[in-house]
Amino acid sequence: MTELGQNLIDALALGSLYALIALGITLVYTVMGMMNFAHGEFIMLAAYALYVLAGLPFGAAVAGALLAGIAIALLAERLAFRPVRNADLSAQLVTSLAVAAILQNIVTAAVDARAQSVETPASLSESTSIGSISVPNLEFLTLGLTLIVLGGLGWLLYRTRTGLAMRAAAENFDMARLLGVRADRVIAIAFAISGALAAAVGVLLVMQTGQVSPTMGLTPVLVGFVAVVIGGFGRMFGAVVGGLLLGALSSLLGVYLPDGLAPFRDAIVFTFPVLILIFRPHGLLGGEIGKARV
Amino acid sequence: MSSVRFRTPQSAAASLLVPLLLIAITALIGANGTPSFQGTVTMILCNLIVVIGLQVFVGNSGVYSFGQLGFATAGAYVAAFLTLPAAFALLQTPGLPGAIVDAHLGALPSTLIAASASGLLAMVVGLPLMRTSTLAIPISTFAFLIVVYNVVANWDRVTGGSSGLVSIPTTTSVESAGLWAGAAVVLALAFKWSASGYRLQATREDEVAARSIGIGVMRERVIAFGISGVLCGIGGALAVHQSGVLNPTTFYFGATVTTMTMLVVGGVRSVFGAVVGAIAIAAVNELLRGVENGASLFGAISIGEAPGLAAIGLGLILLATMIAMPNGLSGGREAGELSWLQRLGLSAPAPPPQPQGAVAGRPRVDRAASGALHAKGVSLAFAGLQVLEQIELRLEPGEALGLIGPNGAGKTTLVNVLSGFQAPDSGTVSLDGVDVTGRSPTRLARDGLGRTFQAALPFPELSSLESVAVGAMGMGLGRRRAVAVATDVLGRLNLLERATLPAGSLPPGSQRLLGIARALAIRPRYLLLDEPAAGLTEAECEELVAILRDVLADFGCGMLLIEHDMSIVMPLCSRVQVLDDGKTLRIGTPEEVQADPAVVESYLGSSFLAATDA
Repeated sequence: MTELGQNLIDALALGSLYALIALGITLVYTVMGMMNFAHGEFIMLAAYALYVLAGLPFGAAVAGALLAGIAIALLAERLAFRPVRNADLSAQLVTSLAVAAILQNIVTAAVDARAQSVETPASLSESTSIGSISVPNLEFLTLGLTLIVLGGLGWLLYRTRTGLAMRAAAENFDMARLLGVRADRVIAIAFAISGALAAAVGVLLVMQTGQVSPTMGLTPVLVGFVAVVIGGFGRMFGAVVGGLLLGALSSLLGVYLPDGLAPFRDAIVFTFPVLILIFRPHGLLGGEIGKARV
Repeated sequence: MSSVRFRTPQSAAASLLVPLLLIAITALIGANGTPSFQGTVTMILCNLIVVIGLQVFVGNSGVYSFGQLGFATAGAYVAAFLTLPAAFALLQTPGLPGAIVDAHLGALPSTLIAASASGLLAMVVGLPLMRTSTLAIPISTFAFLIVVYNVVANWDRVTGGSSGLVSIPTTTSVESAGLWAGAAVVLALAFKWSASGYRLQATREDEVAARSIGIGVMRERVIAFGISGVLCGIGGALAVHQSGVLNPTTFYFGATVTTMTMLVVGGVRSVFGAVVGAIAIAAVNELLRGVENGASLFGAISIGEAPGLAAIGLGLILLATMIAMPNGLSGGREAGELSWLQRLGLSAPAPPPQPQGAVAGRPRVDRAASGALHAKGVSLAFAGLQVLEQIELRLEPGEALGLIGPNGAGKTTLVNVLSGFQAPDSGTVSLDGVDVTGRSPTRLARDGLGRTFQAALPFPELSSLESVAVGAMGMGLGRRRAVAVATDVLGRLNLLERATLPAGSLPPGSQRLLGIARALAIRPRYLLLDEPAAGLTEAECEELVAILRDVLADFGCGMLLIEHDMSIVMPLCSRVQVLDDGKTLRIGTPEEVQADPAVVESYLGSSFLAATDA
């Protein structure tokens, strides 16, 4: 029983992390219709900010990472994504792939292709006991952060004028524009929040693994994409559900998969969405993409 | 046989000159080049084959796949397994079945088996993946790439794990790679110009319109995905027999970005673009690598080592292409379609086809047979709003039924239900006595139901001739017969003159007529026209009435005509059904309907009076 409880909390923590990734990708998708391949590189760059700022107090380094995430997201939007804003989905996707490749290799050229280790605060690697279950502090941080982000996003989207503009843009971008929503501003805000979410994920990943590498964003962005597909494109709630499902699956497979199959965990995790898509081609929670417009 | 075709012989010959040139140049390099230069060229050719494989799927379907390098990986490992010397196999791949280890095949059989294996894998993977949407395919193929990587990197006893395989026989020569590359170009062109290739291109141009003419989107995508898998497998197999080493990252993310860059820079829509892009990017890449390794540029400026520089350069080129030149260097044209070649007289655009007599493409209407398109008790609600309520509609072959009513009355929704684009909540649709409720639009089109849309939904990059012929191809006709049917139909609609120009370049009125021609090419038993006159000039409206009258007489199909303009409904339709608020208000002759006060009040009102006054 104790072991099961422990595993479930681990699963929830990983699922929360994945949900944060999926939310960052969905946010940009809703206002711009672009699946952002470079989101993984936003995560990676924020993690490298933490690596560069390692000498500073931890809080300051995290703040720096957050700023780096926001800055790179805004920069990419302005320089690369704005010119292809009206291109089709595929063209935007390939553009973001180009941005991802550029950012990844800039870090390779500037730092190194190999992974670098980063010192993390000792308090995060300790555990706290609740009854017979001992929960790593990092998992508390992940869960707490996810709840704060969900609450914050909910407040922003449903209680502020900016949020109203973003939801309007998500429903019908052209109409929202005609009604006076400022497209550039809404998209920039979405990218800024997406960058901040990426930075949070980057920090959590560094805390978890203690290292950074130029390719560290690849698996997270795929995880985020798959979670978005499972959840149904462009739905915040779907992104959270997809992320939680994928994280829980990955975490539980890590525990319960027999030894011989354990190395193939990622293969199994990423095959799973295909099984879902066979029965629900538009994801678990529907989604408008690919639906016939007649 | 009259020689109506999509392209002139010169144009086809100019396009086919590309593979011949490839083969000739590689033969020259094989005879005169240094070994290291030959090795570089061989590697470029292997890449080129993978890029062509990518083009077959991405270029014709318009859907991006990030998983094709997974098939190159599969082909490479299979080819390596079949050729590894026994001693090395024992050491590196102890888990491999003895039969495979002992195969010791030569270059050709191992490449062919590798190609079949990766093609088979592509079909198996493609079947579930192609069911998903246009945006989910890039993501799920990307997931496939990572799954392949994860499997080969961890299946140590069979694949050698992350350290990979070495001492694989190096049997790929620059000449053989050139031959394979030439063959790949020919195969890709043959597919592009086949009926299946055209059907797939139609789905790229407009998925909804393609389904309405009987094209199975998923089926065509799976076929191209399989062919693409074969080509990528060949590229992978040849590459591993060039370098002699293989590991899980050989064809992974970096190679995916490189091949995607090559295709996009060259221009995804043409095989020629794949060739141009692969060569151009390979040249740039070699140059950047030289700089990256600190080699002195032009013997003078020397630059320090900068790993990652080449990849940054490629990324910037890809980005710049997407922003400034989305059609790529080739502009999406095949070699024979290049305007400067045509100006030089080395190629020629196809002339407009000549009108010809009626062909075997007559409608499948058996005038003696009875039957009807019959909607019974059809109801449908969107989010609580009742759009259709207990609708009865009957359309017989040879008659024209007008469907009128104010905006929001449910006319288009009813047509969507009849043509399978929208399933009703309750009620049935039957076609000549067979219950077809819930059948897909593709299936219904094949059953003889043609339709047009409120928007013209052209296939902009296909010519009018191709756009209409592809409708006949959707019915399973071969290319030659399909062209004959298309010429016949285009002739009836006075569209022959500009039939070889891209459909997207036609004026709006012609695009609308083209939509009708496309629907007629499936030889429908029932034809549903959704506001065919919207946006037409008065002269064009008169022409349309004359054309539709001829269509009714010649094709004998049943015609359902949604139209606001009563001056079009009145002369054509023997019966008119009036919808209002999702319910049938009245069915009768045009005169009866016009005289009905309820109809006049609900709909005709001022617009009708204006129409009759005019």
